[in-house]
Amino acid sequence: MNIISSTIRDLLMVAEKEYNTQDAFRFKIKQAGADGKAETVIESKSYTQLKNDSECFSKALASLGEQEKHIAIIGNTSYTWVAAYFGIVNCGSVAVPLDAQLSAEELCELLNRADVTTLVYDESKANVADMASSKCPQIKHFIALSKNSTMSNTLYFEELIKQQEPGFECEIEPEQLATIMFTSGTTGKSKGVMLTHRNIAENATCLDMKFEPKTVLLTVLPIHHAYCLSMDILKALYTGAIICINDSLMRVAQNIKLFKPNMILMVPLMIESMAKKLEDAAALPPQIVKENIFGSQFQTICSGGAYLNPAYIDLFKKYDINILQGYGMTECSPVISINLLWENKVGSVGKLMPNCEAKTVDEELWIKGSSVMQGYYKMPQETADTLEDGWLKTGDLGYVDEDGFIFLTGRKKNLIITPNGENVSPEEIENKIGDNRLVQEILVRDSEGVIEAEIYPDYEYVEKKGITDILAELQKIVDEYNSNAPLYKRVFKLKLREVEFEKNTTKKIKRF
Amino acid sequence: MLEKLTQIILRYVEVKEEDIKPESRFMEDLGFTSYDFMSMLGEVEDELEVEVNQEEAANIRTVQEAVDYLEKIS
Repeated sequence: MNIISSTIRDLLMVAEKEYNTQDAFRFKIKQAGADGKAETVIESKSYTQLKNDSECFSKALASLGEQEKHIAIIGNTSYTWVAAYFGIVNCGSVAVPLDAQLSAEELCELLNRADVTTLVYDESKANVADMASSKCPQIKHFIALSKNSTMSNTLYFEELIKQQEPGFECEIEPEQLATIMFTSGTTGKSKGVMLTHRNIAENATCLDMKFEPKTVLLTVLPIHHAYCLSMDILKALYTGAIICINDSLMRVAQNIKLFKPNMILMVPLMIESMAKKLEDAAALPPQIVKENIFGSQFQTICSGGAYLNPAYIDLFKKYDINILQGYGMTECSPVISINLLWENKVGSVGKLMPNCEAKTVDEELWIKGSSVMQGYYKMPQETADTLEDGWLKTGDLGYVDEDGFIFLTGRKKNLIITPNGENVSPEEIENKIGDNRLVQEILVRDSEGVIEAEIYPDYEYVEKKGITDILAELQKIVDEYNSNAPLYKRVFKLKLREVEFEKNTTKKIKRF
Repeated sequence: MLEKLTQIILRYVEVKEEDIKPESRFMEDLGFTSYDFMSMLGEVEDELEVEVNQEEAANIRTVQEAVDYLEKIS
C-alpha cells in the first residue's frame, strides 16, 4: 500500500478494509490442557477483530465521558494494549503511554503532569493503580487490561468492550493531538512530547518499504517507545503484517523458534548479542547457523534507537540477513531516516523520510516536516529551546548529503543514549545519588555502553564519620539508588575521585 | 545449582570458570549486558524447567542471588 494516511483512525480503517480476516496479532496464552495442567497455546486476532475491539473501547470511553481527555496506558506489549490505544486516539482522546519499568512514584508524578483522567493498566502494574488512586486525584476511572485486579473501583477492558457493539463514528482531524510520550530531558526532568494524528500516521505511512503483506514480525521492544509503536505496530498493520508478541525479553530466542518471524525491529544491544551467537558458531556453514538461531525464513532486522557499528551489517549479510539501519527521535514521531535495501549508503543512518527536510545549523542537524512534534506538554521554555520556525533541533551533530542521506558525527545535547536505545539524563542520576551527604560532587556518563558514576566524596565528612573504606560506602549508595531504578538507568561502574572536578565559569562541572 | 548456572553463564560471557564466584555481580564483575542477562534467564528456564518472573529477576545482582532465587522457584 502506498496511500498516505493522515490520521491513526484512517490508518486502521484502510488496513482493516484491505486485510480484514487475516491475522493481525499472534500471542501466547496459558490455558488448562486435557490433563488439567497449564499449557501454552498461540491465540490470534484478525484485523477486523482489532478494529471492532478498538471501536467498542472508544464507545466505552465515550459512555464514561472520557472523550477528548488524557488517558494513560501502562503495561507490557499485548493485544489489549494495542486495541486500547486505538480506542483512545480514535475517540478523540490523547493516549499517554508510560514506561512500565518506572517506579510507582515516578509514574504517579507523570500521570499528574500529563493531566490524566483515566488509567489503563495491565496486571503487572496494579500497584501503580493502587498508588494513583490516592496520589492522582484527577483520575476518575481505572481500567484493567486483564481481569485480576484487587482494586474495588476497577473497570475491566474485556467487560467494557463486551457491553458495546462495533461501529464508532468520530470526526478526527489530522492536527488533533493523539499522543503524549515522555522522553528523558537534559535537565533531568522528563518531557511530554506532543504528537498529533498527522505526526504519527504520516510517519508510519509516508514511506513504502515494500514489505509484503503477511510478513511475520516479532515485536520485542517496549511498546511505550515511539520506535516500537510506530514501526512495529502502526507501520506493520498498514502493510498487512502478522505481528507476533514476544512475552518477555528473556524469551526472544524461544519465541523466534515458536513464531518463525521474517523480521524483527531491534536495538543495537540485541544485535550485538545475536552477533556473538553467530560468531560462536562460525565454524559451521552459515545456512545451518541461521537455521538454528533465526530459522531459514528470517530476512530482515530494522535497527534504531542508538548507534550501530556498521561492521554488524556486513556480518549479518553473511547469513543472508539484512540490517536496515535508521535514525529517529520521539520528537519526530520518531523516524527521520532509514536505509533501504535498494537505497543505502555505508556509514549513513539512512535516507531522509519523504515527509521531512533537513539542514545543518552550527553543525547541528535540524529537521522540518509533518512528523515534527507540536512541543513539550506544559513546558514552553523547553519547547522554545527545541523548535524554531517549525524546525526541530535534534541535538545531534551531522549533515545531509546531496542525495538526501543523513550522516551523524556526534552529539550536542548532554544525554546518554544506551545501546538498547534508552535516553538517560545524567543529571537525573547525579541529583539522586548526589543527595547523599557523603557525595560532594558527582559526574555520570557513558563508559563503553554502561553508565558510570565518578564521585568526589566529602572528605571532611569521611574524617568526621571515621569512614575507612570510602569506595565501599559509595558503592552502598549506588546500590541503594540502583535498587529503585529501572535496569537501563542503573550505574554499573563507580570511580572514586581524589580532587574536585574542573568547573566552568558558572561553577558547573565541565563534562567534556 | 551453582554448577549448572556456572555452565550456562560461560555460554554468555568470556570469563574463566574460576572467576565465577557466588559473590560475582553479573553486570559489574562478569560483564553481562542487560539483554544477555535476560537471555540467560530464558535459557535457565528451559534447562531447569522453571518459570522466572521478569520483575523479580530484575533485582538479581549476584550469582548467589540467582542461585537462591532459582532454588526457591524450582
